Amino acid sequence: MGKKKKRVSSKVWCYYCDREFDDEKILVQHQKAKHFKCHVCHKKLSTAGGMAIHVLQVHKESVTKVPNAKPGRESTDIEIYGMQGIPPDVLAAHYGEDEEEAPSKAAKVDIPSTQLVGGLVPGPLGVGYPPQSTLGAVPPVYSAAVPVPPTGWAVPPRPQPWFPQHPAVSVPPSAPMGYVQQPLFPVQGVRPTLPVVSTSTALQPSQIAPPGLPTSTPPLPVSQPLFPVVNNNVPTQSSPFSTSLPTSVQPSTTAEVKGSIEVHSSVNTSVPGGAGANSHSYASGPNTGGPSIGPPPVIANKAPATQPAVNEVYLVWDDEAMSMEERRMSLAKYQVHDETSQMSSIDAAIDRRILESRLAGRMAF
Amino acid sequence: MSTFGAAAANHNPNKSFEVLQPPSDSVSSLSFSPKANILVATSWDNQQVRCWEISRNGTAVASTPKASITHDQPVLCSTWKDDGTTVFSGGCDKQVKMWPLLSGGQPMTVAMHDAPIKEVAWIPEMNLLVTGSWDKTLKYWDTRQPNPVHTQQLPDRCYALTVKYPLMVVGTADRNLIVFNLQNPQTEYKRVVSPLKYQTRCVAAFPDQQGFLVGSIEGRVGVHHLDDGQQNKNFTFKCHRDGSEIYSVNSLNFHPIHHTFATAGSDGAFNFWDKDSKQRLKAMSRCSQPIPCSTFNNDGSIFAYSVFVMTGVRVLKITTHQQQRPTFSCTCLRNLKLKASHELEQVVESEGCFWLEND
Repeated sequence: MGKKKKRVSSKVWCYYCDREFDDEKILVQHQKAKHFKCHVCHKKLSTAGGMAIHVLQVHKESVTKVPNAKPGRESTDIEIYGMQGIPPDVLAAHYGEDEEEAPSKAAKVDIPSTQLVGGLVPGPLGVGYPPQSTLGAVPPVYSAAVPVPPTGWAVPPRPQPWFPQHPAVSVPPSAPMGYVQQPLFPVQGVRPTLPVVSTSTALQPSQIAPPGLPTSTPPLPVSQPLFPVVNNNVPTQSSPFSTSLPTSVQPSTTAEVKGSIEVHSSVNTSVPGGAGANSHSYASGPNTGGPSIGPPPVIANKAPATQPAVNEVYLVWDDEAMSMEERRMSLAKYQVHDETSQMSSIDAAIDRRILESRLAGRMAF
Repeated sequence: MSTFGAAAANHNPNKSFEVLQPPSDSVSSLSFSPKANILVATSWDNQQVRCWEISRNGTAVASTPKASITHDQPVLCSTWKDDGTTVFSGGCDKQVKMWPLLSGGQPMTVAMHDAPIKEVAWIPEMNLLVTGSWDKTLKYWDTRQPNPVHTQQLPDRCYALTVKYPLMVVGTADRNLIVFNLQNPQTEYKRVVSPLKYQTRCVAAFPDQQGFLVGSIEGRVGVHHLDDGQQNKNFTFKCHRDGSEIYSVNSLNFHPIHHTFATAGSDGAFNFWDKDSKQRLKAMSRCSQPIPCSTFNNDGSIFAYSVFVMTGVRVLKITTHQQQRPTFSCTCLRNLKLKASHELEQVVESEGCFWLEND
């Protein structure tokens, strides 16, 4: 499963709630069960529109919103089935959040601005994107908050083979095509040059919505499925999004560093894996929230501390670097006073944590 | 039986039987003897390893404290020898002690590591003890010799261990799951990155050795099959979550007979699940405190779990929850389904259709 990161962008995902799935069949089952189900009689329909019509005709009630959908995705007018019918702007925005830190393929941009070579650019663009070969392990990235100028951008027929490192490219649904890696570069400067939309089969590359569209979710695809609830945070995200380069960068770094994520910043403590963290970052700006529960919880065995915000989802134990027992062992209470029994093999991280928690006054002992 | 009757509702909403004279700090592991209903618990307090004899009179369960030994530092793990005579316990004092409690003998140190020993298991087919520690090694011990028979390097600290001969799975700190075939213990059979994206907390091997369960700090359990042909049966599901709080899954135990399994989490709840039908069989009420460990007895009729109750005195309860066999057997699953199929479907769907989300 080491390939997870690369694969993620090529997974299918649900338009309504942004969850990702391994294959479309499961996605469809999910949609039927969650979004196309009549709330009165629980009959599963095949589309949102169909469900609305059923409710109207059979139960004489009108449904205007798709159940369990994120705000902005609740319309019953859009005909979605599996991955089909997803508007191209939403599709791009979704994949734009998938970025890894290594810039992925250069965009093939027709856009007549700056250095980008129009048309197929089978190699690094003049813009200085790393050569495609570096993308070996990185999923192509969509520009996160970049509006793709609709002009002239005809579906660049990015030939599949152009992505040698991306065998999954042939997978239609997500066909992640080369997207310029946005987040690492000052978005403002490069914005016009980035565009490139995936030519995934379903996509008509016409409009790519302006950056405001990252209603899709927290940067880490990983986090999606965990937060069906985090709808409210999304709007706050759209603004930090275009400027939140640091935020986007963090998750990507942490995505790399699986286990031993030493705290790089207070935000990062909540970022391991990304999931819990995203809510933290959103709640009150990038750094103020920190982990919702403050420094790593005193003892995992205790009941969780009060939650700061209603809509945040957080891990009660979110310390990736240590297990609960290790943390507990490091408490003064369990220390034996002679040095010989100090756990020499547990590294300085533990000491630091003790210090942090003591300072934070959270030690119950 | 309980001296805290007034507060019973909070920490014992399931009306489990409480064990007398529990340790005064939280319990780190529980194990039942494979031969008799003797329960051993290791705890953080006074570094004790205590044992009780559990007896059942009809539907009541009684416990009699029997004996205890101490270590120098908190004890983290315990296991019985397969003949039900000896208990091995290891912990932060970096040693494992062998305690022949049935014969009333004194404990002897049989294993040493450079760092606290997190997990210990007895492998009857090899007559060896295997210990996993935070010093990133796994060591196999013949209890009669002071040196390990074999030392196996791990990529990171050992956090979880499960043995079901010849399958052994070790969960390490960096979310690796190392699978060993005990017929060839010197080489790793397979190294799998955990399907869960968070720190591994516990693992449990299927009774039929076809795969294992892995639980993480993020309220999720993954079901993983070893055989490549069965990979499509792998799935993960979410559990032990409450609103926006995600609790860690602390313990995974298979029922010895029915092959359903139980999970216990930091939310204070324990649930019973069937991985083959991908359903939750029973959800028990949440206790007010986390449940760090749990176990079944040898015939699956008793499920013991510990709840750390923090009253002013910090008393701990170990409760044995009597299982009515019909409720948890596979046959009864059918009852559940037939009786209230629409309800079950609702319940299942409202829990997020856990088997459908392959994240």
